[in-house]
Amino acid sequence: MSELADAIAELNEDEAKRLVREKIDAGVEPLSIVDECREGMDIVGGRYKNKEYFLSELIVSGEIFKEAMAVVEPLLKGGKQAESLSKMVLGTVKGDIHNIGKDIVGTLLTAAGFEVYDLGIDIAPRIFVDKLVETGAPILGMSGLLTPSFESMKETVKAVEEAGLRDKVKIIVGGGIVTEQVGKYVGADAFTSDGPEGVEICKKFARETK
Amino acid sequence: MIKETMTSKERVEAAIKLEPYDRVPVAPLMDVMFPSRHKGMTVAYGISHWKEGLQAIVDIFDEVGGWDAMILPGYSLALTPKVASGVMASMGTRGYKFPGQDAAVSENSQPQYEERERLTVDNYDEIIKYGWSGFAERNRERYTSFPPEQIIAWAKKQTEHYAREGETWAQKGVPSLCGAIVESPLMFLSTKRSLTSFTMDLHRIPDKVEAVMDALVDDFTMDTIEAARLTGIPGVMLVLERGGCFYYPLKIFERFEFPYMKKMVEAFAAEGLITVMHFDQDWTLNLPYLKELPEKMCIAELDSTTDIFKAKEILKGHMCIMGDVPASLSAIGTPEDMEAYCKKLIDVVGDGGGFILSSGCTIPANAKFENFKTMIDTAKNHLPAS
Repeated sequence: MSELADAIAELNEDEAKRLVREKIDAGVEPLSIVDECREGMDIVGGRYKNKEYFLSELIVSGEIFKEAMAVVEPLLKGGKQAESLSKMVLGTVKGDIHNIGKDIVGTLLTAAGFEVYDLGIDIAPRIFVDKLVETGAPILGMSGLLTPSFESMKETVKAVEEAGLRDKVKIIVGGGIVTEQVGKYVGADAFTSDGPEGVEICKKFARETK
Repeated sequence: MIKETMTSKERVEAAIKLEPYDRVPVAPLMDVMFPSRHKGMTVAYGISHWKEGLQAIVDIFDEVGGWDAMILPGYSLALTPKVASGVMASMGTRGYKFPGQDAAVSENSQPQYEERERLTVDNYDEIIKYGWSGFAERNRERYTSFPPEQIIAWAKKQTEHYAREGETWAQKGVPSLCGAIVESPLMFLSTKRSLTSFTMDLHRIPDKVEAVMDALVDDFTMDTIEAARLTGIPGVMLVLERGGCFYYPLKIFERFEFPYMKKMVEAFAAEGLITVMHFDQDWTLNLPYLKELPEKMCIAELDSTTDIFKAKEILKGHMCIMGDVPASLSAIGTPEDMEAYCKKLIDVVGDGGGFILSSGCTIPANAKFENFKTMIDTAKNHLPAS
């Protein structure tokens, strides 16, 4: 494990910042810095899975990752780009303005190598569909915290069907009260109430839709 | 129907005191959303028309043949007639987007909390120096445009409404459990700083966060005791969501949540107030700590994400458990699913007493009436298997 990956995994914000700056100054390839940051986030995800880490560590590591990317990303422009695992459209469904879970998952997906199109909150079915068409993303992630969001998720799945995209797009729904029953009710391919588990499911989707 | 030998009040008190009851009491966390929709009003209308909203709750109570207790008597706020109390309530209510008042929240949706920073990290030193009441009074104009006398008059009216809601239920023989509501310092700071910013505060400046909590807890506790005295209902809802194991490791809970919870619950118990600990999200790993709280003076109200069966194993003989019909089951399940789940709760968690059947958090606005009625009926018709 690199020092930078270790600093992120240990949630050492100052050390991670220092190492990123040091590597940039030393002329290290920006993409390799991104890879090290991702390695750190991967370790965090593993520790969460093993119940050594909790949501708070995902949040803290996510913030450290975002700080590092804010410095490194401008240097990637015009140079060698990171290879994306898959494109993915993400958003909180129509009638729901909760963003915590979606934002955390969005950061984890980005750190895992997904090209995430985060549409925000209160997203209507048509907006989701338009973005899927525009980007060609084969994965759709919908978030919601309230029971009325189940209807919005269902309507969005229907809109994806009506657009003729259902067999090309894998759909995952997530949120604090999303259960297997909800996943079936809305017609999704998968459900989760656990961010890192959602990332693993999306990785599987990415492999299946390549 | 089970032959009833106790009044609702006796049954609920028996559950809290872990004494035998004739059947498991049932007490949904009922606000105005589901009744409004059921009565053909919009949620927005029910929220903004107090009398009609309260009547809608009473009507649905009568329609299902009644239940045993109201956790909260209605949807007014119990406040002390102080500027600080009004400012805190104002900060809380302004955090919500209400149905019909925002394009994203339809007239039939429920109020939704908008996660953004209402306190900044720069406010911490002022809170430490002046306490919550001092900070709120000094910063009143940042959080409300109303002058102090109007805030105090509003707070007084809210509390009068709250007491009248309680009286409405008392006249029907139904006790209300909570005469006031308060958040733990952690919950308060997390929602007012935002989850991400507060989590980073805990990571970067833990000593300062602890000092802020020390400065908040006494004002919160004393105001809550006073509010409960004003409403005349001998209980308190302590709102807890963000300090549990869903969010934080136990080392955070042990330092930043549990000592303050304990201090508050012990102060309430010393005043004879029962604390309903409203646990949203998963607290399963935190359950063993609850045995350090005053025996038979608390209710652990669970929302279906904490393992309620594990809670029974751990808290049996120490505190009453309430819950935890999942919101999704109320909204998209069938009456058969509902009956099966409630029977399981009654058989396992209700066995030997100390259980109140309830919804996991609030009955959702889009609950199916037949599912709700099945929950109430199952409590009245099913005894624990043993």
